[in-house]
Parts: sequence; structure tokens; C-alpha cells
Amino acid sequence: MNRRTAITHVATMLGGAFSAPTLLAMKRWEDRLPSESFPTGFSLTENQKLIVAEVAEAIIPKTATPGAKDVGVPAFIVMMLQDCYKTPEHKSFAEGLIKLEKQQFLSMNADQRNALLVQVEADSVEEMKAYQVQQTKMGDNEDREQMAAQAKGLPFWRLIKELTMLGYFTSEQGIKSSFEYVPIPGKLEMIKMKPNQKSFAY
Amino acid sequence: MNLNLKSDKTHTFDAIVVGSGMTGGMAAKELTERGLQVLMIERGREVKHIEDYDTAMKGPWEFEHRGRVSIHSAEEYWANNRFGTLANEETGPFFTDDKKNPYIEKRPFDWIRAYHTGGKSMHWGRQSYRMNKKDFEANAKEGIAIDWPIRYEDLEPWYTHVEKFVGISGQAEGWEVLPDGHYLPAMPMSAPERYFRETMMKKLNRPVTIGRVANLTKPQPWHTDLGRASCQYRSKCARGCPYGAYYSSLSGSIPAARKTNKLTVLHDTIASEIIYDEKTQRAKGVRVINQNTMAVEEFFAKIVFLNAGSMNSAALLLNSKSNRFPTGLGNDSDQVGRNIMDHHLGVGANATVEGFENDYIFGQRPNALYIPRFRNWGADKKDFLRGYGYQGGASKSDWKRGITMNGFGASFKEDMSHPGTWTMGFGGFGEILPDPSNRMFLDKDKKDKWGIPMIVFDAAFGENELAMRKDMMASAVEMLEVAGFKNVTGFNRQDTHPGLGIHDMGTARMGKDPKNSALNKFNQVHACKNVFVTDGAAMVSSSCVNPSITYMAMTARAADYAVKELKRQNL
Repeated sequence: MNRRTAITHVATMLGGAFSAPTLLAMKRWEDRLPSESFPTGFSLTENQKLIVAEVAEAIIPKTATPGAKDVGVPAFIVMMLQDCYKTPEHKSFAEGLIKLEKQQFLSMNADQRNALLVQVEADSVEEMKAYQVQQTKMGDNEDREQMAAQAKGLPFWRLIKELTMLGYFTSEQGIKSSFEYVPIPGKLEMIKMKPNQKSFAY
Repeated sequence: MNLNLKSDKTHTFDAIVVGSGMTGGMAAKELTERGLQVLMIERGREVKHIEDYDTAMKGPWEFEHRGRVSIHSAEEYWANNRFGTLANEETGPFFTDDKKNPYIEKRPFDWIRAYHTGGKSMHWGRQSYRMNKKDFEANAKEGIAIDWPIRYEDLEPWYTHVEKFVGISGQAEGWEVLPDGHYLPAMPMSAPERYFRETMMKKLNRPVTIGRVANLTKPQPWHTDLGRASCQYRSKCARGCPYGAYYSSLSGSIPAARKTNKLTVLHDTIASEIIYDEKTQRAKGVRVINQNTMAVEEFFAKIVFLNAGSMNSAALLLNSKSNRFPTGLGNDSDQVGRNIMDHHLGVGANATVEGFENDYIFGQRPNALYIPRFRNWGADKKDFLRGYGYQGGASKSDWKRGITMNGFGASFKEDMSHPGTWTMGFGGFGEILPDPSNRMFLDKDKKDKWGIPMIVFDAAFGENELAMRKDMMASAVEMLEVAGFKNVTGFNRQDTHPGLGIHDMGTARMGKDPKNSALNKFNQVHACKNVFVTDGAAMVSSSCVNPSITYMAMTARAADYAVKELKRQNL
């Protein structure tokens, strides 16, 4: 039973039905145009998009279960950066990509890529420390907005790792292949772990 | 302006209730059940129970931004966005577009609104605690503001009345600080939570209980009669519950009122003014504007209940000017709009829990632990007044732990599909003292698109709140350390303002003396007895417990009194 059937089922049970305006409003909500006020025109070259896809796949590779590329994570990352992040993150993300471009990431073999990303991750630990210090130094809301616009964003690695994981572990295939997906638990129980217990996802 | 003023039968009712949220719903239920024909006026769009819960059954992948807030939404919902992720696609439909409904901040105020059927009852936290005896006495004992005109005993039977109707899951504990109510079976605690409860009692003598929450664990016949069913432990309440398992006006009070066939509801209808009759010295009705067509109409009734939400109820009084009330209906005392209170939050601590590796939870509990106030209680004395309660609990970490961990690749991916270690954390809800300089008022010039003066906020935390916040963080850290948990980290958000607790209250306080209060002990406007204000505006002090159940109890009590007074022909 999909969600639509499920709701309709419950609604019918209690004597209701979806109204046309409701469906329309819902569609409008889902289809809303992206903001007209993008801080900058954030865009990536085809080569950079390939790097995004390969880095995402390195974080969540295809194994017995689908990988990041299988579930559309690369396009998700670009969309999220456009829709949910501002200039500082656009800048730091682009900086990280340009670095990988210069290092010929796409021409590397799997081991070389892996070694480079281990280094990128190690560097980002230091970058995160600097980022957090800068966050705590920010003052009131008004200042915060202004300073945030000029400040450096979250480091590239942190952004791509977070968005890869979010995109993958909330995708339908990602959830259903990684976890025990229980949309309607129906009960609450304190239990003991089974051997090789998977996380429940709801 | 399209004026359509009728006084025919279709525009005349026994009672008008302004607002369909937590208290408006309760007022409508109590008044219709006592035989009154009631008109409920809701300023926002209509939301139909179940059929309009558009996001309720969606999978995580069906939300484009997967729970994150887009810049576009963050701009539209700029005030909501100060809270966290309220403006995301999951819960956004039940919050209000701040860009279309702007307000003015002389000092910052985080005003979270819900303009639609059910108001904030659609997405409330559902925590339901009675205020204790001392909460009602504290102002008088400490010489703060004014005394409450009622005591715990006045509200006690009404707490019982609304608790049974609402359906609250919880554990009776027999603690004076947190009076017991009538509870459905309590939700279980996890293994580390049970350990925490025992350790806190043993080592610090601080009680910990499971949250008292308005979710049905065992529906009673009067719940199922309204089509309400058991909680399914999805913990997606804020999307609207297709099972009616958590209480809202939509799942509870409005269906109950409709059963009487005495309820009429108008949506998209903004109450702009209460119409005062200089001759009878009573309100005779309410002037309204349709938010879409801009049509103006008047509706008439013997009594008017204001349940528009504390800030909007006060604004409606202030905007209702007459010869008798040149500064707003019931504002002889100049207290309407003043004494804004809330609960300050965003302070607490987190930790990781070692052990309990084999324990896990099936289902999502829409509830947490509650640690009642221990500050300035009994022998405890601090350099600030009043206290705070904590809410929080333990959870087993999921894939999100990987974001801040080092690692990637096949084994990392596999690891993320299994639960990690337990973490535990909680945050405080602190009492805010009433202060007349913390206020809202109507702008002299600026008006909204319906021609109603815009609301200006001018409020801030005081010294007492700031001192309390330091202690709130320190005590949270202390408790987690005493429990032996690791990586204990305190937090104290500096970017919060009054309003963020979404418990804004106090703007038309009750009192014994008309000179320093707006309402009497039955929530009647002192000098206009057929107007009742029974939302948070009536509060004289804020306690530190979540207020909705108190507002509902006050509302039921006032409705009972109003009908008796009508029968005695006093109104």
C-alpha cells in the first residue's frame, strides 16, 4: 500500500476524501519554483559534476547494495547546494572541487583516489576547527547575517559527505537496502539487539 | 471596501469564538455541549482532519529537500526558521508564511504562528503538565507583578475534565512539584533512561519521569467515538496524524463540537474588531474581513471568547476602540499587550553513553523524559527566582553519526546501516518573569494588507532569565556527568529571543484589581463582562511547565461559568 492509498484508505474509513483544492495545493507546494534570489548563480562544469559523482560514489560505493550514483545522489547534491546553501558554501564547495581538478582526480585509479580523499578528509578536520571558531565569534543576528555572507562556508569535504549520506540514506533504495524500513511500527518496544541488527528507519 | 452588514439570523449566534486552535477548539466544544449556538472564526485556510494531512504518509525520499529548509522557504518563513527546520516540506504546511504576515520588531521577537484550522494544536509538542500549587502563589510571595486571582484548587477539576477528554499518556508519581493528573498508560523508558532515572534519584535526589504527552496509548470510548485511534509510534505528529492519535482541535474538540450540530465555522475570516455597545456596556459582536475577498461583515452574539493566540487576542482588544475604551477594549489598566512571557529554551547538554550495547528500541516514541523543576524548590536556593524543567532522553545513534566521523567507502557504508552507541541529552524550559516593559502594541501608522494595524514587539529576556540560563546549562552538564556518561557537552544558544518557546503569553492578564489587570478570575474582561479571553494572554505568571493543558482547563472553566451567567441573565 503506498502512501496515497494509505491516506485515502484511512480518509474513506472515516468518511472523507481528498478535495481537489487540497491535491492542487499539495502539488503547488511540491512544485514550487526555486528561489529567484539565488545569492550567486551557483553552477558546475561537466567535469566538476563528474568529480562530484565520483567522490559521492567513493563515500557510498556500490556493493551488494546500490551505490550513491545508482540512487541519484550526484544530482541531489547539486540541487541541494543550489536550493539550501548560500554564497559561503558555494565558494568553499567550488574551491574543493577546483583543487581535485588540479590534482587530476578523474585520471587517478581507485587506490590513488582513495588516498587523496583520505588526505582531503584529514585536512577538513582542521578546516572545521577554523570554521567553528569563526561561528562562535559571530555576534547578534544582524551581524551574524552580514558576517555569514562574507565568511567561509563549511569545508568541501564536510558538505559533500553530509549531502551524499543524506541523499543516499533518505532515498527509497538507500533506505530499503540499508535498514529495516518500518513506516508504521504500530507499537513501541524496548528490545534486545539481534545478531547483525540493522537500524530501523521510519 | 465591500461592506455587507447584516444583522439577520444568519449573522447572530449565542457565542462567537475567535480562533480554532488549542483553546478556541475547547471553548467551542464546551459551549456547544452546553447548548449554545457557536460561531467559530478562523483567520487562516481550512484544514480538514486526515484528508488534508498531505505529508502524513510520505516516505523520506518524497520530500525534495529531505527535511532541510530551502533558502526560498527560509525567506518566506523567516521567523519560523529561527526555531530550526519548521519551514521544511514536512511540517511547513502547518506554519505561517511570515513574509505575507509581517510584524515589526523593535526588539527581536521570534513569533511562530499557525494560521489554519487547529492553529498551533496541529504541531504542538503535546507535553501536558499541571502547574503546581506554588506556581499560583509565587508572584504574591515574592512580590513579583500581581497575584493570581485563582489557586490550583480552582483549576483542579478542570484539569481533570480536559485531561480525560484530550487523552494523556503518563506516569503518576505523587510529586508536589508536578501534580498528577489522569493518565493513559505511560510510554516505556529505554534501558539507559531507566538507569539515568535511578541514578539521579540516588545521587542527586532529582526526580525523572516519562513525559506526559497527549498521544493515545490506550484510547477510551470517548476517543474512539471521535474516530481517534492508538498511537502508531511513527513520531511524525507535526505532519498531522491520520490516526487522530495525538490531540489537536481537529482530532478532538472540533469534531466533538460538530456532533452537537451547534457549531458553525468560518475560515479565511480575520476578526478585526470587537463591536462595543455603549448603551448596554457589552460587546455585541465582531467585525471580520475575509482574507481573500476583503469583504467586511459583522456577526453578533451574547458572548465573545477570544482564543486567537495570546498576541493576536491582545491585538484584537487593542484594535477595538470606542468612546468608552479609547485605548482598546478592556484596557483601562494599560496592561493589554504588556507582560509578555514565554519559556526560554535552547540550553542544555548532550553526552554519549557507554554500555547498553544490546539494548535497542522498536518504534519511534513521540515523547521524551521529563525532569521537573528542582531549583528554588524545597531547600534549594539560587541567586535567581523560579526554575526550569528539562526535556530529553536517550537514543541510539543512526547513520547521521557518520557525518562527523572520519571514514568512507564500503565498510563505512556497511557500518552506517547498523545502530551506533547511545547518546543522551536534554534541554531546559525556563520560567520567564512578567515585566510590564516586555510588550507588544499596535503601530500607529503601518497597517497590514487588510488595513489592520501591524503588531510591534518590544521585549527581551531580563537578568533573571539570563542567570537562570547559565544554571540550566551547568546543571544539565552536572547531571550527565554524575550519571557517568562521556563527552558531556553543554550548550546555551545566544541567538534566541522571547517567543521561540512558542509559549507566548501574558498580554491580557487576570487579576483581582481592574486597575492592574485586564481580566477577572473567570477570564472576563473586567469592564465588559461578556468578553472572555481564555488563551495564554490570561496568564499572570508562566510557571516552567508546558502551558497548553492549563489554557484548556482555564477555557473549560470559563465556558462553564459563562453559560451559568447567561442562564442567570447576568450577561
